[in-house]
Amino acid sequence: MAARPGLAAGSRTCVALLLCLVASAVAAASAEQLARGRYLVHAGGCISCHTADRDGAIPLAGGRRLETPFGIFYAPNLTPDRKTGIGGWSDTDFSAALRHGRAPDGSPYYPVFPYPAYAGISDADVAAMAAWLRSIPPVHNPVPAHELPWYLRSRWLMLGWNLLFFDPQPFQADPARDKDWNRGAYLVRHLGHCGECHTPRNLFGARDDSRELAGNAAGPDGGKVPGIRQDREQGLGRWTLDDMLLFLELGMLPNGDFAGSSMSAVIDDNTSQLTGDDRRAIAVYLQSLAPLDSP
Amino acid sequence: MRQARLTVLLTLGMLAFTGNSTAATAPTDAIKYRKAVMSAMAAHTSAFSLINFGRVEHQDHLIAHVDALAALGTQLKVLFPAGTGTGDTDALPLIWQEPEKFGQLVTASEKSTAELRAAVAAGDKAATMKAFKAVGDSCKGCHDRYRKEDD
Ligand code: HEC
Ligand code: HEC
Ligand code: HEC
Repeated sequence: MAARPGLAAGSRTCVALLLCLVASAVAAASAEQLARGRYLVHAGGCISCHTADRDGAIPLAGGRRLETPFGIFYAPNLTPDRKTGIGGWSDTDFSAALRHGRAPDGSPYYPVFPYPAYAGISDADVAAMAAWLRSIPPVHNPVPAHELPWYLRSRWLMLGWNLLFFDPQPFQADPARDKDWNRGAYLVRHLGHCGECHTPRNLFGARDDSRELAGNAAGPDGGKVPGIRQDREQGLGRWTLDDMLLFLELGMLPNGDFAGSSMSAVIDDNTSQLTGDDRRAIAVYLQSLAPLDSP
Repeated sequence: MRQARLTVLLTLGMLAFTGNSTAATAPTDAIKYRKAVMSAMAAHTSAFSLINFGRVEHQDHLIAHVDALAALGTQLKVLFPAGTGTGDTDALPLIWQEPEKFGQLVTASEKSTAELRAAVAAGDKAATMKAFKAVGDSCKGCHDRYRKEDD
């Protein structure tokens, strides 16, 4: 008899414990998911575009002016402010914007927002980014309307562009390659969207992926963006893996010069914030890209 | 009398000549010099990092490279005289349009190279790593705003 209450008490603690375990697992998962979301927003370089270009600007509250050959765009506010940000967006809204270039009302975005690269981001990563963006403080910051030539003012034109140039595909790991290479491919081609600057574009502003990462004569600020394949002259053919790791962490080129222009923001907001393993994965992937122009 | 006049003329001429040679460095040379100093800083930074990150030995060379970096760091402020913003240069006009803000970056760079020197001299590895990152940030930060992209 004496054993019964003991048992009952034991199973009661057990139930309580189980509940505790379940509850803390949920809490831990979401804290983990938030941390992951924050990390991915850095790895996605969202901060460089969605933060205004002035001292003291609040990260992700929008307003950066992006000058392109097609007009001037202003990056929207990504904080959860209901009026001027993306407060109230569902995961589905967020996923449609990021991976399909569609606003909640169905209208298409302009591809200056690199959704063609982001199309390959995984479901779990999209959900984690959405969760973290929802958790940051809302900032009321209305962003100016884009300044576009009359013939580009209708967003719906981009449906045509999407039809011609946009074929969203989830990322497919290559089983013939190792884990580092696949992680690097995911970071370079999708989340880190390196090709948005380093790959040349056609007349319509679409990436020419037959020359992926081979360099771009007309980069985002009008300047030249160097190639980052293994070409010896116009690329990274002379760089060692250690050279690349140091560059991605600190921005230092092998000759001791420091990258400037738009790449310094990529280093500050994205690659310097990554884990050493992720930087290594990027370097491993870049080292696998055969030269296109030099034998 | 004639002699005296000649002396005066000669003296004036010499004054004019020496005056000329010190006052006006050709802008093209000032630009060349600026790039040479920048490249020297880069060379020391590269050599420093090869040792610092353990890719070559020569630990005993480390101090020579930071001495040079710190010394060159103090020269930055005279490398951008007015009139050297055009020609064979990547320096952007913004440098002379917002001298105060530019000056802050020059001072920050001077300070960061001095701190790196101090950390190396003290043999403090952790402080050295931190200070090296700060030096890099100061180079990168200035190039980001004030140096033209390749075109
Ligand atoms: C190269 C600059 C750039 C980068 C990088 C970028 N965006 Fe954007 N983003 C834009 C621009 C510009 C728009 C507006 C497009 C339009 O109006 O058609 C936009 C729109 C959006 C929208 C729709 C907002 C709204 O109010 O309709 C979301 C959501 C968004 N971006 C999320 C992200 C996330 C998340 C990342 C990082 C993974 C990111 N963006 C990276 C430039 C960028
Ligand atoms: C917003 C445009 C942009 C994006 C996005 C971008 N880059 Fe760059 N990158 C540049 C520019 C511009 C330069 C030249 C910088 C300079 O010379 O100061 C550069 C330089 C580089 C270099 C040095 C090449 C050399 O030979 O000097 C490497 C390596 C590099 N980028 C890698 C990457 C990787 C990896 C990514 C993706 C994680 C990336 N970049 C994303 C614009 C970009
Ligand atoms: C206060 C601003 C500033 C700081 C700090 C600065 N630079 Fe520069 N740097 C410039 C400018 C501006 C140019 C372009 C000069 C020109 O073309 O006339 C330049 C050019 C260069 C060049 C190219 C030289 C050439 O031959 O064209 C190198 C290399 C360089 N810097 C390295 C460095 C390194 C390394 C550091 C840090 C230890 C550094 N710079 C710090 C502003 C700065």
